[in-house]
Amino acid sequence: MTILELKNVSKFFGGLAANTDISFSLEEGKIIGLIGPNGAGKTTLFNCITGFYPPSQGQILFKKQNITGLQPHQICRLGMARTWQKVRPLVKMSVLDNVMVGALCRTNSLKIAREIAMEQLKVVHIEHKTNMPAGGLPIGERKRLEIARILATNPELLLLDEVMGGLNTSESEEIIQLILETKSRGLTQMVIEHDMKAIMRISDRIVVLNSGEKLAEGTPAEIADNQEVIDAYLGESHA
Amino acid sequence: MTVFLQSLISGILIGGVYALIGIGLTMIFGVMRVINFAHGDIMMVGMYLTYNLFTLCGIDPFASVVICIPVMFLFGGFLQKIFINRVLNALPQNQILLTIGLGLIMSNTIMLIYTSDYKILTTSYSSGSFRIAGISISEPLAISFLITVIITAALYWFLMKTDMGQAIRATAQDREAAQLMGINVKRMSVIAFGLGTALAGTAGALITPTYYIFPQIGSTFTLKAFVITVLGGMGSVIGATLGGVIIGIAESMGAVYISSGWKEVLVYVIFLLVLLFKPSGLMGKSRM
Amino acid sequence: MNSPAKSAITKPPKSKAPPVTYLLATVALLSLLFAFPQIVDSPYTLHMMILIFLSIILGESWNILGGYTGQYSVGHAAYFGTGAYTTMMLMQYAQVPPWLGVWVGVAVAIIVALAIGSICFRLRGPYFVLASIAAAEIIRLTALNVKSFTNGAEGILATDIPPLKLGAILITDFSSKLPFYYTGLILVLLTILMTWLVQHSKLGYCLQAIREDQDAAHSLGINLTLHKNIALIISAAFTSTAGSFYAVYIGFIDPTSVLSLDMSVQIVLICIIGGIGTIFGPVAGAIILVPLSEALRSNMIAQGLFKAGLVGEESSIGIFLKDNLAHSHVLIYGILVVVVILFMPEGVLGFISKFVHGKTRRGVS
Repeated sequence: MTILELKNVSKFFGGLAANTDISFSLEEGKIIGLIGPNGAGKTTLFNCITGFYPPSQGQILFKKQNITGLQPHQICRLGMARTWQKVRPLVKMSVLDNVMVGALCRTNSLKIAREIAMEQLKVVHIEHKTNMPAGGLPIGERKRLEIARILATNPELLLLDEVMGGLNTSESEEIIQLILETKSRGLTQMVIEHDMKAIMRISDRIVVLNSGEKLAEGTPAEIADNQEVIDAYLGESHA
Repeated sequence: MTVFLQSLISGILIGGVYALIGIGLTMIFGVMRVINFAHGDIMMVGMYLTYNLFTLCGIDPFASVVICIPVMFLFGGFLQKIFINRVLNALPQNQILLTIGLGLIMSNTIMLIYTSDYKILTTSYSSGSFRIAGISISEPLAISFLITVIITAALYWFLMKTDMGQAIRATAQDREAAQLMGINVKRMSVIAFGLGTALAGTAGALITPTYYIFPQIGSTFTLKAFVITVLGGMGSVIGATLGGVIIGIAESMGAVYISSGWKEVLVYVIFLLVLLFKPSGLMGKSRM
Repeated sequence: MNSPAKSAITKPPKSKAPPVTYLLATVALLSLLFAFPQIVDSPYTLHMMILIFLSIILGESWNILGGYTGQYSVGHAAYFGTGAYTTMMLMQYAQVPPWLGVWVGVAVAIIVALAIGSICFRLRGPYFVLASIAAAEIIRLTALNVKSFTNGAEGILATDIPPLKLGAILITDFSSKLPFYYTGLILVLLTILMTWLVQHSKLGYCLQAIREDQDAAHSLGINLTLHKNIALIISAAFTSTAGSFYAVYIGFIDPTSVLSLDMSVQIVLICIIGGIGTIFGPVAGAIILVPLSEALRSNMIAQGLFKAGLVGEESSIGIFLKDNLAHSHVLIYGILVVVVILFMPEGVLGFISKFVHGKTRRGVS
C-alpha cells in the first residue's frame, strides 16, 4: 500500500528552482533511499514533505490525505517524523527529556512519556546516559538520540537525513542495524545518505535527484546499472 | 506647499545625523553580527565630550568633531577588545544584554558626574537661520548636515577604495571566508566597532547645538538607530543612509501633519510594519 | 490549560523524596516570612521586603516566557503598565476597588499580549527583541498622548482606596505596609507555585524544547504559535498583577515609572542576574538587586564608606558621592549584568551551584 505520494512537487526560492516537478511514491514498510550530489535538493525535498517549506507547486499525499501546506507539528501528529542533517539535540535538556518531548506528541502524561522514552533509549542503546545533558553526547550518540526522539513520536514514516554522516564504520554499522530493525517492525523509512554501499544495502528502492530534478528511480541494482546516474553522481563520487 | 517643503527640508537635514547613527550601528552589526544596544549611549557620551570641550576649552561643537572622531574611535576599540570580543560566539540574547549593561553603565556614570540635569550648549548660531526661496533653514542643522555629508562620503571612499575598507566589507560578507583569505578578522572587528562608535559620537557632537544634553537621551536614539538600520536592511551602509533620511522626513512630517506627540508612534509603527512585511529591509538580503 | 495536574505532580521514579530537613526548612522559612512583620516592625525593612516580593513576581513572570520558552521579551513594561494603568484608572475614575480592578487589568493585559504576540512571534532572535521593545514603546507613547484617559506625563495619583472587608477583618489603613506585605508574599508563593507547575508538566517540556530549538520542537509535534502564546499569556497575566500591586502600593504611576524601557530592562535583569529558566533564579536575582540598588538610592553606600573611614565625609569626594550616588542606583544593574554575562552566563544561582556541586544541575528530573 502507498503511504506517501509526491505529485509534481516543485520548490522555488526566488527564481531558483531547488526541486522541479518531482513525483514518486513510497510503499508501506519499505526503505526508500534518496541520493544525489550535493545541492541536488534532497534536504529541500525533506523540508517540503515535513511542512517546513510549503511546496511552490504540486501535492503531497500522506496516507491518502493531502498534507500540502500543513504545519510541521500537524504532519508530525499524522505520523511522519524526521531527523536533521545537522543534528539538533535540545542541548540543555537531558537525554531522557529530549526523547520525552517526542513522546509527549502522543500523550499528556509525563509518566507514560517517560516510559516510552526509556523504551526508545533502549532501542538505540543509550539508556545508560538518560540523565546526561544532550549537549554532552558525542556525535554518534547524538544521531541515535535523534532517532530515539522521533521513534518516540510513534511515527509510521521516518525521514532520515544523513544519519550516518560523520560517523566511523562501526558507528555507521550500528545505525544500519537500527534502520533494519525499525523496518522489521513494519515502519516505512526514507533515507538520505551519501554512503553508497550502505544505501545500496538497506534500500528497497532508490530515487536519484540531480539539480533538483528526479533523474532515476528503481531498485538498487537498476540504479547501479543506470548510465545516467553513474555519469551524474556515482562517477563523480568515485573519481 | 511651503509647510510641506519646510518640513521636508528639515526632515532631510536631521535625517543626515540619523544616517550617521544608523551607519555606525549597521557596520557593527555587519562585521560582528552584534546588535549594539549601547549605541545611543555612546552617542550621548559624544554629546558630553563635545559639551566639555565647549565649556572647558571653548572649542566650537562643530570643530570638536575633529577631536571627537579619534577619541570615540579609541573608546569603541576599547569596548570591543575588553567586552564585546568575549561574547562574539555567545547567544544573541546575551550579546544584547551585555550591550544593554554597558549602556546603563555609561548613562549612569555620566549621571553620577553631571547629574541628570538638562544642559544646553548655546553658540552664537544656535538659533540662527537663513532663508532660501521662502523656506527657513536652521543654521546649526544646515552645518551639521554638511558635515554629515562629508563624513559619509569619506566613509564610502574608505570602504570602497582602501584595502582596509575592502577587508571590512569582506568580513561583513562572510567572516569565515575572510579569515581563510588571510584577513585579520579580529582586527577588523575592533576597527569596525571603533568606526561605529566614532560615527555615533560624531552624531552626538553634531546635535549638541540643537538638542538638550542629558544622560538618559541615549535610549531614544538607540531605538531610532534600530529603526533606521532595520528599515535600510541590517548590515547595509547605503540602506542605513537611506533609512536615516526616511526616518528624519517621517518624523518631521509626522510632527507637522499628525502631532509632535504621535510622531514617534509613527516611527515605531513603520518599524513593526517593515519587520513584518520586509524584514530584510530596503537594501538588505538576509533576515538573520 | 494543559496536561493533567496529577501526572505533573508525580515524582520522577529516580528522584528521592525530599528529605525531612528540606521540608522542615521550607516550613520554617514560610512561618518566618509570615511572622516577619510581627517580629520586625520597621516600615523601611517591610518596604524593602515588599520591593523584593515585587521583583520576584516580575522575575518569575518574565522567566516563563524568557527563561523557559527562550523568547527574550524586552517589552514587559507593556504588561506591567497595562495592569497598573487599568487598576488605577478604574479606581480613580470609576471607584472600582483595586482587588477587582486587578482582574480587569489581567484581562486587558492578555488582550494586549495577544496583539503584541501576533506581531512579535513571527520574528526570531534579535528581531523578536527589537519588535517587543517597539511594541512596548508604542504603548508608552500612547499612554503619554491620550491625556484625557491617562493624564499623560503627569501620571495618576491614588487619592483614596476603598476599605476591604475580608471576613471579619476590615482593612482601611492602606498607608500601613502590612496588607501589601501579605499580598506580596502570597503573590510570590503563587508565582513560584505556577512556575513549579509549569516546569513539571507537559507544557514545561514543550516550552523548553522551543527554547532549545524551535525547528526541532516544531518537527516533534509542538505547535509553536500556540505554546508561545500560552507562555506569553501566563507571563503577561502575572506581570499585569504585579503592575496593579505596584500602582496601589506606591500610589502613583506615570508612563516613565511603569511603561519605560528601563522598566522592561530591569525585569529581564532580575532573571539574568539570578539565573534564567530556573525556579529560584529570579528569587536570587531579586534578593541581590533590590537591596543593592536601594542601598545606593538611599545613600547607604556613601554613608557606609564614611563610617568605614574609607572616604572622609567632608572631603570633596565624600560630598560628591553623597550628592550623586543616589541618582545612579541603576548603575549597579549595569555593572552586575556585564559581570554576569561575562563571567557567570548561568546567573548567580548557576554559578553557586556549579561551585557547590562541581557541575550544573538541571531543573527537570
